[in-house]
Amino acid sequence: MKFTPKEIEENVNVSKTHPLVEFFWLAGGLLLVVGIVFLTLGLLTDLAVSRTSPKIENWLGTHLSFDMKGEANPALQRRFDDLLTTLPEDSPLREYEFTIDLVDSDIVNAFAIPGGKIAVYRGLVDRVESENELAMVLYHELGHFAHRDHLRGLGRGLGLAVGSALLFGNDSGAADLVAKTLLSFQANYTQDQESAADGFALEQLANHYGHVGGATVFFDRLAKENSNKTSHLKYLLASHPHPRDRIDAINNLIKENGYPVEATTQLAKGILLKENFQ
Amino acid sequence: MEILLQHADLVLFFILLCLGYGVGSWAERRHYTSITKREKEFAHLPVVTGRESYIIGEAEKSTLVTGSVVVSIDYFKRLLAILRNIFGGNVKSYESLIDRARREAILRMKEKAKEKGADIIINLRLETSAIGQSANKKRQVGSVEAVAYGTAVSLIKQ
Repeated sequence: MKFTPKEIEENVNVSKTHPLVEFFWLAGGLLLVVGIVFLTLGLLTDLAVSRTSPKIENWLGTHLSFDMKGEANPALQRRFDDLLTTLPEDSPLREYEFTIDLVDSDIVNAFAIPGGKIAVYRGLVDRVESENELAMVLYHELGHFAHRDHLRGLGRGLGLAVGSALLFGNDSGAADLVAKTLLSFQANYTQDQESAADGFALEQLANHYGHVGGATVFFDRLAKENSNKTSHLKYLLASHPHPRDRIDAINNLIKENGYPVEATTQLAKGILLKENFQ
Repeated sequence: MEILLQHADLVLFFILLCLGYGVGSWAERRHYTSITKREKEFAHLPVVTGRESYIIGEAEKSTLVTGSVVVSIDYFKRLLAILRNIFGGNVKSYESLIDRARREAILRMKEKAKEKGADIIINLRLETSAIGQSANKKRQVGSVEAVAYGTAVSLIKQ
């Protein structure tokens, strides 16, 4: 038999699909699936949260450990308890037993934890000048409790973590990517929550003091301090609205509701910090 | 600018992805051009898998020839494969990789046989192994090695 060399024309071993086409199908499909899962989890969380009584939440708070290395601060607690007295009689917030902790850190922040715990950072107390500003911040955190935002955040965060771990395993680039994409949606959601909490705080401030003086002073100060590094773009993905937008929104609310603005009361900060840090 | 710096890992991911796709497909096209060209060159040297006895008595000398190559996946192919791992189906992005590796190994083996003045290669065997076993894990990039080996035979000139 004579050997005649022949050229192979067709290659059956390599698929003809263009890799980019395949990529868009797969990535699109994945985004769709993850998006549906994320939305469903979000809706389920909202549903579950609306049916969770403060009692169950308190139980949850005592059984999940949230260790923030905070210390009780009686002076802060007294102020806070005083703020609670003007809450409406039928407010669901009355079912909580609130405790407030001061955390020794320069970070300017405060947050709400399921079960009626509020953590305030020393950096925040350092920058607050009047009783009214402090009250605004504390009422803001109470607003998160009133709207059950901390529970929602917990549920969604948990759902997101479990979902991406199930899909991609714990440590993979794809999980990071999806988490980042979804977090930007989440950012919108939490920015709305922050604005709602600001609205709540303003209403309570007016109830308590009879005026809303000092409501924006604290955010104003923060905005000025950071004016060189706070572009609006950065706040696209942040959990809180841009300070300037926030101040504008609060001022709008003050105007709409016709809240009076009066002089603020100086805060005796020394006493406040002395109990823990001197 | 700030937002880019804040999400440096995302930016890096997209750069790697584009780089993987761009450079990866460019290298693959170049490789295929070279493979087709050399396959034509070596077409007159037959390679068979059989251990046929028909050349017994006609063989002047025989020797072992091998050719091996290691080809790496690029970032884009890896991502496609990861996505495939979720949905299932043919991992098409790896097909060209294996195809190139096998054909290149055979070509290298043929080059060796040509040097030795062989007329035919019999008993061709192909083996493939993965280098970097956890190709899709722990951010590692895997590669594939293809080895082709056979017996190069020079026939008695009549």
